[in-house]
Amino acid sequence: MSINDNIFVVIMASAIFYGTPLVFASLGEVFSERSGVLNLGVEGMMLLGAVAAACVSTNLGGPAVVVLPLALLAAMVAAGLGAAIHAFLTITLRVNQIISGLALTIFAGAAGLSSYLAGIWGLGKAPVSHQFLRLDLFGLADAPIVGPILFHQTLLTYISWALVIAASFYLFKTRMGLHLRAVGESPQTADSVGIPVARYRYGHVIFGGTFAGIAGACFSLMIVPQWVDGMTAGQGWIALALVIFGFWRPDLMLVGAYLFGALSSLSLTLQARGIHISTALLTALPYVMTIVVLVIVSNTASRRQLGAPAALGKPYEREER
Amino acid sequence: MEAAIAPAVAAFHVTKKFPGVIANEDVTFDVRVGEVHALLGENGAGKTTLSNILTGLYRPDSGWIEVSGEKADFQSPRDAIAAGIGMVHQHFRLIPTFSVAENIALGSAHDPIGGRFNLSEIEERILALSESFDLAVDPRAKVWQLSVGEQQRVEIIKVLYRDARVLIMDEPTAVLTPVESEVLASTLQAMARSGRSVVFISHKLGEVASIADRVTVLRDGRAVDTVTENSVTALASLMVGRDVETVKRSTEATTHRVAPDAPRVLEIDNLNALGDRGLTALDGVSLSVRAGEIVGVAGVAGNGQRELVEILAGLRRSSSGTVLVDGESLENGSTRHPIRLGVSYVPQDRMGTGLAPDLTIAENMALKKYRRPPVSRPPFIRQTVIDAEGRELMEKFDVRAPSETTPTRRLSGGNVQKVLLSREMSGDPKALVIASPTQGLDVGAVATVHQLLLDASASGVGILLVSEDLDEVLALSHRIAVIYEGRILDVIDRDDADVHRIGLLMGGEMEESA
Amino acid sequence: MRGFGFRLEPRSDLPKWLPWAVPVGSFLAALVVGAIVLGVTGQNPFSVYARIVDRAFLSEGAFSGTLVSATPLLFTGLCAAVAFRIGFFNIGGEGQFVMGAIFGSGIALKLGADVPGVFAVAAMVVFGAVGGGLWGLIPGILKARFRTNEIITSLMLNYIAAVIATYLIFDSNSFWRELSGSGAVFPKGKVIPTVAWWPKLDLGSVIIPFGFLLGMVIAGWLSVLQRKTRFGFEMRVVGGAPTTARYAGMKPTRLIIVVAALSGALAGIGGATDIGNVRHILDPKGLQQSGFGYAGIVVAALARLNPVAVVFVAILLGGITNAGYALRGPDFPSGLVGVLQGLILFCTLGGEVLARYRITRSTRVSDVETALESA
Repeated sequence: MSINDNIFVVIMASAIFYGTPLVFASLGEVFSERSGVLNLGVEGMMLLGAVAAACVSTNLGGPAVVVLPLALLAAMVAAGLGAAIHAFLTITLRVNQIISGLALTIFAGAAGLSSYLAGIWGLGKAPVSHQFLRLDLFGLADAPIVGPILFHQTLLTYISWALVIAASFYLFKTRMGLHLRAVGESPQTADSVGIPVARYRYGHVIFGGTFAGIAGACFSLMIVPQWVDGMTAGQGWIALALVIFGFWRPDLMLVGAYLFGALSSLSLTLQARGIHISTALLTALPYVMTIVVLVIVSNTASRRQLGAPAALGKPYEREER
Repeated sequence: MEAAIAPAVAAFHVTKKFPGVIANEDVTFDVRVGEVHALLGENGAGKTTLSNILTGLYRPDSGWIEVSGEKADFQSPRDAIAAGIGMVHQHFRLIPTFSVAENIALGSAHDPIGGRFNLSEIEERILALSESFDLAVDPRAKVWQLSVGEQQRVEIIKVLYRDARVLIMDEPTAVLTPVESEVLASTLQAMARSGRSVVFISHKLGEVASIADRVTVLRDGRAVDTVTENSVTALASLMVGRDVETVKRSTEATTHRVAPDAPRVLEIDNLNALGDRGLTALDGVSLSVRAGEIVGVAGVAGNGQRELVEILAGLRRSSSGTVLVDGESLENGSTRHPIRLGVSYVPQDRMGTGLAPDLTIAENMALKKYRRPPVSRPPFIRQTVIDAEGRELMEKFDVRAPSETTPTRRLSGGNVQKVLLSREMSGDPKALVIASPTQGLDVGAVATVHQLLLDASASGVGILLVSEDLDEVLALSHRIAVIYEGRILDVIDRDDADVHRIGLLMGGEMEESA
Repeated sequence: MRGFGFRLEPRSDLPKWLPWAVPVGSFLAALVVGAIVLGVTGQNPFSVYARIVDRAFLSEGAFSGTLVSATPLLFTGLCAAVAFRIGFFNIGGEGQFVMGAIFGSGIALKLGADVPGVFAVAAMVVFGAVGGGLWGLIPGILKARFRTNEIITSLMLNYIAAVIATYLIFDSNSFWRELSGSGAVFPKGKVIPTVAWWPKLDLGSVIIPFGFLLGMVIAGWLSVLQRKTRFGFEMRVVGGAPTTARYAGMKPTRLIIVVAALSGALAGIGGATDIGNVRHILDPKGLQQSGFGYAGIVVAALARLNPVAVVFVAILLGGITNAGYALRGPDFPSGLVGVLQGLILFCTLGGEVLARYRITRSTRVSDVETALESA
């Protein structure tokens, strides 16, 4: 048995594989939340992306090189449209962000539009024609330890790494990122220096939605890889928790995503080895931890250092001067 | 005189009106290069409006602004900033979780967006500015970690960073400790020496007299005069400028006498309290109100009035001191106890604190008595009783509205106040604490409210009247207490009221000084 | 807002017809949009809607089936309505429902077959309320004491509850699990004794489950509570004006905790009715798929948080759910239930905005300056 069959290596490699949609989804959500808009529709947007990507991949003829990018594009557009509805309701009409996001999830989610479209498009009966396969990067897929973990992932995973780096850079090292954070912390202050609050919010909510679409495509084009009704199985909600877990920082969210990914693949891996640990404990652990983190973050003193954009969840209305 | 150098900024015949109020009327004044210039006045004198015009937030209805001798027409605050005028507001516009440098970098949406911005360059420039003006700040520190004085320094650097030549500061020492105020004073003078100009808005006579080179006194929207006076007495009289006789005549017939043996309904003894920012808000306040007496608390906003009334209502805890209501000790921080003891409170924030806007008029009137019969037969409340009592009160206090079931949010300002007063006065209170009773009301409503207060005091209620409107305090009160920086400087009987002296006290000056 | 050329202005008066028009209008708007979605994707909206109406209300036994589907929605709808009214966004109805089911089935199994039916049923209701109430108490206390946002905490608790239910049946040999017969191989729950099966009221053409009757009574009780008691009065003040509540001597913290527990208890009773009237065993997978908690939020929103209206809206949405379930198959579009529910919620939100604001043409920036400002 080579070292690459070692349980830890296997778990790490699976963690990254299964954690990739979480990385995309939480990245998308962090853009939205950094602008001050909470979007609970992640689960719904992911399923929209998954179904759109599956549709393109199944029904569009052509080589993978053409079909897969188009499938991703379709996923992004589908999810982005969902996000646009939420953006319009919460930014322009200033309705309650929580309910609007829930409505999006119910509308687009497991027993909703995504299933409906899957039925119309005849998906779910067979695997998709094109999928994202694991690559053998630089020929190092079999290298000891790092091989399976780092060099044997899919293109989507590598894209996600690039995006995490880009997102961190954007948020903390560019002027636009500074403006975005200002909008999320104090829209009044941002408005007073001439930053167009509504435009930033719209842009980032919709942009964030497209990432959720890619996350959904991860499921239908990479992990499963076909359309299954409700295939995201609640990962959208975990992505929401991840944003808090990672203190609204992409780098920490990445770690969290792989932690969750490891936990979800852990039980399967262990069972395959004949080791029985109660799955319940492992499955419940991330949710319990999220609550604990949230309680700590909510303590006002620590909120200053750790956290949530101060204006998150509150609609902004320019006060009559 | 160096007439060759144009003033850094000047206003000519500036007039600005809002519905029902003339904020600035024909104001002309100028600020010289290298000068520290003060705008002195009470609340409502027009200082904030004028500074808003200078910084481009408002456009004057008539008149114009000149910058360095050239006519300027600001379409927006950005134009004013571009012209070199910067403002440090009383309430800072800083983002607590950002660093100092990030806050300063946030300055303008017109800075080039693309790509990275060099935070270290910004930090260096901040350090350079901080050194040349002796404004010590750490560019990397997070704003929430800074003291108020340090935060103010950040705001100043923010303005200097944008190359401001004229610095306008709104009540800058309101949030500072005495030591920090002194530091600020020398900073401002250093800035003036470097060729910039400082305009600072204040109501504090002492500091205006000592720091400013020249003072423009505003009163009721007009610029009374621009003087180089550093006598606080002279400044006080310019600021308050009332005809003592007129005031006395208008109040003669309206207030009854207080019985000499009337019991004390409210006794505040050595009250200390902290404000929201952790600074001392009340510093050993002692005051008493007798049954049937109106004690007016005069003072410019921000000197502890809010904290005082909040403590009496139980919305804030005092750190030490006692309050006795008709001899009984008031529990610290309980909102139910004052109600039980018979202390009524009409807050300044009527819709936000005093009323529930979605409830009907009758329901709001029942807000404090819903727990007891006859309104309540526990656990139920009787809507019919609420409505009936509401109707009665509406008639008695002349509240104009379609019916007692009208949602309160739809009422006009005057009627809102009547609802509040009717509720607070109908419970047979021993003491009534009321803040800014007629702010924002039209003339008719003001008269009604004043009459209601006089009637209440005539029937034996002891009233603590807190108001920024000196005329109102003078007209209604039997005794006038002046509050300044959390202390009661003096309590004066109406008959002995010397308006000039009161003006001095409001500005923090205890004695006449040359 | 200026970019669009119009702006929202708060309405100064609320016409009497508005509270009715909003839900009805929103519902109809949702149907219209739904019809568009159907039409655009090649379905015939009229025939689809006709079949829904038929299977929900008209055909033989349809209404009874609808009442069965409506019962859980009634309870989760009340759960959401009570909580949202004071601004406590309890979206943990799902988990509170499951905990109610766990507690309810637990006590039924524990009592066994030798107790009077009335006692068993009552016990299930009580324990269901306790289970849900405890689960609702957690986010309530976290919010009241630690100011923790209740949305994420209640959401996480949904998942934890699902894990607990799964554990009891699939991962352990717990009391709830049927260990004999096929249960030894395929995990499933123990069936509760027949005495504990909840009765139904047979009116001939319609059969009303006891759970639904219970829900109606509770809805009536809540309506009285909100409108005619001191507690209800406090709820109204705390919900709309928390600062005023403090000023008036109320204790918002305590109120939030009580309402959170009450809200959870309602969903918990719903869980108990599901066991008692429908499934008779603890079925984690079935519970997970039903999504009663989230659908309850749609019910509450459309009913504008009014408990009595929740009863009727629950029947309406129960009908759609029932029809969706009965009709599912190759020739009926799947996912339509979620689409309609989501559309109803969107349209209700939009309708609420129209109810409270008027749309006016934007005026120039300078008009902003006409606000009264103290100089």
